[in-house]
Amino acid sequence: MADLFGMTGKIARVDLTSGTVTVIEPPEEVYRKFLGGSALGVYYLFKEGIVSPDVDPLGPDNMLQFLIGPITGAGPNARSVTVTKSAYNFISIATSGGQAAAELKFAGWDGIQIVGKASKPVYIAVIDDVVEIRDASHVWGKGVEEVELILKKEVLAETESREAMMRDADLTPEWAALRPVKRKGLGEKRLASVWSIGPGGENQVWYANVITEGARAHGRYGPGAIMGSKNLKAVVIRGTKGHKLADKAKFLELVNAIHASEKNDYFWRSYGTAGIGARSAYVEDAYPIRNWQWCAWADPQVKAIEGAFMDTASFVHKQACPNCLLKCLTTVEITSEDPLMDGTITDMPDWEAMGMVGGNLGYFEMPGKTPSDPFTGTHIDQAENLAKLQFTTALHDNYGLDFIDGGALLALLMELRQRELITPEDLDGIDLKWGDVHAVDEMLKKIVYRQGIGDVLARGTWETAKYFAEKKGNPEIMNYSMTAHRYGQPAHDVRSPADKNAMEYVTVRRPSEHTGGGGAGFKQGDWAAAIAGQNNKCATDSMVSCSFPGGHFAGKTVDLIKAATGWTDFTEEDLFNIGAREYALCRLFDIHTQGLTDPKEQWDKLVPHRWFYDPLPTGPQKGAVAYEGNPDKLFNEALPAYWKERGWTEDKGIPTLETLKALGIDDIAGEIAKQHL
Amino acid sequence: MTRVERRDKEPEPNKEPTQSGGKISRREFLGMTGTGIAGLVIGGIVGREVFPKQAAPAAAPAAAPAAAPAAAGEGEAAAVSEPKAGYTLVFDPVQCTGCMKCAVACSEKYGAYFHPEETKNTVNLEFSRIRPMRFQYVDVINNCHYCELMEWAEGSNEFPCQAVCPEDAILTVPEGEGEAGYYGMGYKWIDQEKCLGIDKCWRCAEICEDQFASGISFDPISRKAQVCSRCGGDPECVKACPEPLALQWVPVGRNGRFYAQHPTAYAELLYRKMYNKRREL
Repeated sequence: MADLFGMTGKIARVDLTSGTVTVIEPPEEVYRKFLGGSALGVYYLFKEGIVSPDVDPLGPDNMLQFLIGPITGAGPNARSVTVTKSAYNFISIATSGGQAAAELKFAGWDGIQIVGKASKPVYIAVIDDVVEIRDASHVWGKGVEEVELILKKEVLAETESREAMMRDADLTPEWAALRPVKRKGLGEKRLASVWSIGPGGENQVWYANVITEGARAHGRYGPGAIMGSKNLKAVVIRGTKGHKLADKAKFLELVNAIHASEKNDYFWRSYGTAGIGARSAYVEDAYPIRNWQWCAWADPQVKAIEGAFMDTASFVHKQACPNCLLKCLTTVEITSEDPLMDGTITDMPDWEAMGMVGGNLGYFEMPGKTPSDPFTGTHIDQAENLAKLQFTTALHDNYGLDFIDGGALLALLMELRQRELITPEDLDGIDLKWGDVHAVDEMLKKIVYRQGIGDVLARGTWETAKYFAEKKGNPEIMNYSMTAHRYGQPAHDVRSPADKNAMEYVTVRRPSEHTGGGGAGFKQGDWAAAIAGQNNKCATDSMVSCSFPGGHFAGKTVDLIKAATGWTDFTEEDLFNIGAREYALCRLFDIHTQGLTDPKEQWDKLVPHRWFYDPLPTGPQKGAVAYEGNPDKLFNEALPAYWKERGWTEDKGIPTLETLKALGIDDIAGEIAKQHL
Repeated sequence: MTRVERRDKEPEPNKEPTQSGGKISRREFLGMTGTGIAGLVIGGIVGREVFPKQAAPAAAPAAAPAAAPAAAGEGEAAAVSEPKAGYTLVFDPVQCTGCMKCAVACSEKYGAYFHPEETKNTVNLEFSRIRPMRFQYVDVINNCHYCELMEWAEGSNEFPCQAVCPEDAILTVPEGEGEAGYYGMGYKWIDQEKCLGIDKCWRCAEICEDQFASGISFDPISRKAQVCSRCGGDPECVKACPEPLALQWVPVGRNGRFYAQHPTAYAELLYRKMYNKRREL
């Protein structure tokens, strides 16, 4: 193969059943079509037949992939992406920041694909070209924080580890008499990075994630459950080979220009996503409060979700991903009068946690009050409420759980209890009242260790609603499942016209994805613009980069890829087509693996009942419902028009053979499309 | 592999020390204050001959064209920085975000310096002398702290790594000497010909990890030891750092051994200070 730049041209395929590692070398043409990251991962799900309904997501045949892209490494905002079939039996693509992504490139790999199932707990150690499967029984059962610190010291580069050679005679006699050498050799460096699962992933909680640096997550769609099903506790990487670039000077020039721009980005550099804070509630009216029964408090005096308040109350240290100046993650130590929470180390919370396991669980109202009442607490009460949110974030992180679907699940249970549709007896005696962090703590233990009712809840929000609807013979229960396409809706609502348009969640390639892009296009009904936004996001996830510094990349993305890869003829259109391919493949994946015969009824319409039938009760957008309360228009006019613009059929949204051919993916997806057209 | 040789040329005599950019050279400073040497024991300069600094070139060192990334596009005048003797690097682990800009700047400089051909297309942090290490919720910058032994107790006033080197490969380059674009200034340098490389000897790294910190790493191509030479008094890492006060280049007169910690010990102390937690790393 000709020399590749940007990418390394190698993917390690680890078969945990046989304990073997093979090297996959994708042809350059594949990189040209899919770039890397998410699009490349989806390509392999088709190429390796994971798309087949016969492949059990939690069985040994499923394939879990960790992938990076051409700018991951020396590029700004390094991120990694996991791609697999989720336990929910739909596509699972999840990205995460952190140094591990860059480290994988430095080790000389574009990705790791994991198939099979180990007979006992293992972890994968990658030290440059050497990929080893090692015993992980000493860390099985531990939370992600502890695992990471233990495994970091077990994986050192070859030059960082040596037996002792010093003798006392090497020192001066006076020195040797004072402090003879301990003869421990080399081993102090800690430069490895770790992706690991917590007990949630080990016990295959469907929404378990893969965590690095204690708090950064491949957060959604449950890659951790797939990892746990393979008895794989962690992937630990140490790379020393660097990142090969076609035009290094140009590449670094672009990186420095992006950094110069980022350096003035006061918003991200101050509080990260916590800076969105109260704006979402009081201006956009789109903040989840008590399972989305409210989206703004009647009294705009709740400050605990403001970045500045959090900073004053608890922020300790800002942490950046490699080559990023936005440093959007802040660590905190919880200060609380409640010994359960006091002293816990965690992060911020970020925006999604703030909503999904904050307001959504009723943490911010004083006891006995509802969000419609005036706020009567003090600043200390606000700080204690913040502590509950931070503690719940910490629990989810350390167990390795997605707090979006997890938050949606806990809020569902709380609302069902509020409406007396279930009783504490249905939850093994746990009385899940709004704002009760101790009850949440108990409930999470049951879920993570799959005890009693926890075994049902571990299948996520939608399955839980379905279970109770059947158990109680009450279909109304499904109305409180705040899930789109069977996965928890993140902390952005579609009822308020100031936030997202419902079409965004209906069309996006991953269920309930809040970062799918295309927002303005959907609001204006400009499907071409919306599609461009969506495709752009796929390109971002394939490079692999981050959404947050998007504005700083403006106009430089193609140049970055060119400088990295040396593809001088690479254009904006090539970038656009990567997203178009990924969207077509994701759509086919979800339809084919679930065996859907009428996708619109069985899949597209699976959105929260509340969107259309529960107007916002408070705030600047009081009375608003999604899509002006007109689901017919959404599903029967807008959606077919969008599908048509994508070159998909208007009745079912299946990419046509012509579209697949034009995108050059008819070879891997044509046969599957034919079965559904 | 590029050979790196010492440039044992006499400093140019026609340069008056007081004309060096309006700055006061260290020797003058010592003379003027009359405090003697004891107050400024830094970087192993004491007891070694210090020459007046030569006029600084107007541009960045020619050997490292790609090595000033922080200056690009910031809207600030690219100030000509003066190489300084007797300074040290200090970092604030709360301000440091672990963004790696320092390591990229350092590795770009020294990768190009020692292996211009091999690193023409590669960014490789292994050439960096300064390495941020992330211990989950704390970040530690790992670098050489310039520890000095104490003669009255330990029988030597050398750097520990220097004292145990069987080949005398760890040099202290006097002010005005060293490679083109490198001003010595009393900072460390590894003699690439004398160093045996990690496949034969790692005494310098081992004594550092045994009793002080972890300031020595190894060049992945030549396999020789690497240590921070403070860029001869004008460190690239400081210029690249985007966080105010996270990494500073300051005239602090202390023996570096009192700053030095093993990276794990540093992180354990930070967990204790920042989060009131005991962690064993």
